[in-house]
Amino acid sequence: MATVTNWIDHLNKPAEEVVGAVYPGAGSVEGILVIVGIILWVGWHVLTAKSESEELDRLARKRHSANDHKSNITDW
Amino acid sequence: MTDQLGALTTIFTEFYYWVTVVLMFLIHVGFCMYEVGASRYKHHQHTLMKNTMLIPLVTVTWFFFGWWIYWAFPTGPGIAPSIMNESTALVTDESAFSATWYTATSELMAVNLGDHISGVFWAAFLLFSWTAASIVSGAIIERITTFAFGILAIAIGSVFWTIDAAWGWHFDGWMLKILGYHDAYASGVIHAIAGGFALGVLMVLGPRIGKFSSSGEPRNIGPRNPWLVTVGLFLIYTGFWGFYAACNIPIFDLGPEYGMEGISYWTATNIYVTPTTLSGITFNFLMSLSGGLLAGYWIAKGDPFWTYSSGLAGVICASAGNDLYHPIQAMIIGMIGVVIAYKLHYWVERKFKIDDAVGAVAVHGYAGFVGLVICGFVLNGYPSSGYSVGAMWDGTTYATINPLGQFLGAIIMFVVLGLIPGYIIAKVLNGMGRLRIPREVEIAGLDYEMMESAKEDEKAVSSATR
Repeated sequence: MATVTNWIDHLNKPAEEVVGAVYPGAGSVEGILVIVGIILWVGWHVLTAKSESEELDRLARKRHSANDHKSNITDW
Repeated sequence: MTDQLGALTTIFTEFYYWVTVVLMFLIHVGFCMYEVGASRYKHHQHTLMKNTMLIPLVTVTWFFFGWWIYWAFPTGPGIAPSIMNESTALVTDESAFSATWYTATSELMAVNLGDHISGVFWAAFLLFSWTAASIVSGAIIERITTFAFGILAIAIGSVFWTIDAAWGWHFDGWMLKILGYHDAYASGVIHAIAGGFALGVLMVLGPRIGKFSSSGEPRNIGPRNPWLVTVGLFLIYTGFWGFYAACNIPIFDLGPEYGMEGISYWTATNIYVTPTTLSGITFNFLMSLSGGLLAGYWIAKGDPFWTYSSGLAGVICASAGNDLYHPIQAMIIGMIGVVIAYKLHYWVERKFKIDDAVGAVAVHGYAGFVGLVICGFVLNGYPSSGYSVGAMWDGTTYATINPLGQFLGAIIMFVVLGLIPGYIIAKVLNGMGRLRIPREVEIAGLDYEMMESAKEDEKAVSSATR
């Protein structure tokens, strides 16, 4: 995976070879990383949307009044 | 980099944008404080998390596609040819500033020893994206689901504002060529569009319970923590310095850029690559801020909430032309924007029952719109670009700044890319039953469960003696 294994060797190369990407797997992993990133992004939306809906439904069913929350405040 | 002067110029530019990003973080800190200060106690934590989570949502999508849109869309597509490749298609060829270099899989979108600028420039624009989404966030507090806001934040932060930036805030943008559009510090490309988008969402979302009486009279729901609101707005002012700096290119040789043989002219430029100075825009930033504060204090009769917001509105209104205005022009324009925004806010609230909880539509939307229109008159005849000067509607050259072009530009920003998409997306989310929280939850408070689950511990702690 390492794109650079020796900085002295790397900087001694011709200028056009020195300038460039130096992250692990440069030139080969970008597509896979983007796919993984998109899966994580979509997955986060699905998971959090589901848990938010459940929370809102649960709270709505309890039908608290506008001032009930004050009984949950015990100390300022 | 092998020559020292070139390296200094490049690394100075890299560091310059990096600092603007750090400063602009304060805008988001300010927005979070402001929103929490404006919301009621039983909604505080959800309000905070809603605004906070736009940071990762917009950032990730800005990486995936938002930045690509900015570089791909200056031509429309299909409206005016690019000066880089003379095509009206999406700019995705091999030219220097093509979107092809800014896909999520590009080697320039990472640590690259040959590129010191892409990351910091990407981040500066990203912070503008957060601001656009955060403007919307404030208007809709206490009744929107976090899921719906996330979708709306991505839409305004990573799609619609970046389209408008490609069209009207890019040296190759078609709005400069066809309309002579000028918006140096984003009266329209950030503020008018975000204000318009917020208004579109509010039209569907509806007011908070209790905001209007049964006869339709609006009731004031003032900020619950004025000190938090105060510090929040001061932080937004502070972050705005970074915003202004980030709208500039700090050091650039315009001679060769404009094709002037043998001429070298090093200067700071605005986003359109026309000359300005950090010194000059500092005059104008402070004078328009002052104009806004003076007018706001007067028209709101000393109300702190509106006075602070008016300082911001003053800067926003003058921003379109603050690269060229005289400081007193900037001050007067800031004052005019504040008076119009304030009056419009209450007229729209009363007439259309729009509940804009923090006045975001007024401060950003109306003030931004008015600022664009005024700029058309005050800067009438200035070139919209240094690359060429031509007639309006021509498209192959750059039109000069003019009142009609600025008015049309304001409509594009506020209505076409702001209000209409906001309204449509909110309608779709509402149709799915995912836009607004249940009435019972709004009454109980979004934080009810969180507070209830901590109650026993809180009780024990409050009565503890050791």
